[in-house]
Amino acid sequence: MSRSLKKGPHVDERLFTKVEKSIKTNNREPIKTWSRDCTIIPEFVGATFLVHNGKFFLKVYVTEDMVGHKLGEFSPTRTFRGHSGGKAKA
Amino acid sequence: MPRILGVDIPNEKPTHIALRYIYGIGPALALRLCEEARVDPLRRAKELNEDDISRLANILDREYVVEGPLRRQIQQNIARLRDIGSYRGSRHRRSLPVRGQRTKTNARTRKGPRKTVAGKKGVKELRG
Repeated sequence: MSRSLKKGPHVDERLFTKVEKSIKTNNREPIKTWSRDCTIIPEFVGATFLVHNGKFFLKVYVTEDMVGHKLGEFSPTRTFRGHSGGKAKA
Repeated sequence: MPRILGVDIPNEKPTHIALRYIYGIGPALALRLCEEARVDPLRRAKELNEDDISRLANILDREYVVEGPLRRQIQQNIARLRDIGSYRGSRHRRSLPVRGQRTKTNARTRKGPRKTVAGKKGVKELRG
């Protein structure tokens, strides 16, 4: 079920203030965050985030196309290295 | 046989069924189109006259995206997801289910026919 329009997009308030501050001070330093569920809003375009994936922070540079997605979509939580027993011959 | 939008030649079926042979037209849209163009949905497609067909084609052309343009639009949407490096894009790239379905079993539509891996232990061996 999709989110009610009445509420508007979910944006982490504290993250938003940090973005605003970085725009004001022209500070392009990446913003470290754990809010993977935060929707990317137009104001975020051009900012760089370090999005936690459960283990470490992945750099996400926000482009215009990403608006409407969530930060977590760009920081994969799983690493698949292939199935076991690949080379087991004879 | 009547032709709508160039290539599509719906056959001897009732109009509302025949219209569904056009990519992008389903049951609901087919009926709505008939209503808008004032065509009896139950009349056979072969009995449609030039006028009916041009009215249908006109509405389709003006208000709906079907066939080639629709296919292109879908491809573009997927390409966008890939380009921005999103999770959904990566699922498309690997042709795995995109919407969080399980992949331990099933998911055969996306994964295609089973590829048996040699040397992998089967259920029977594990029991024995």
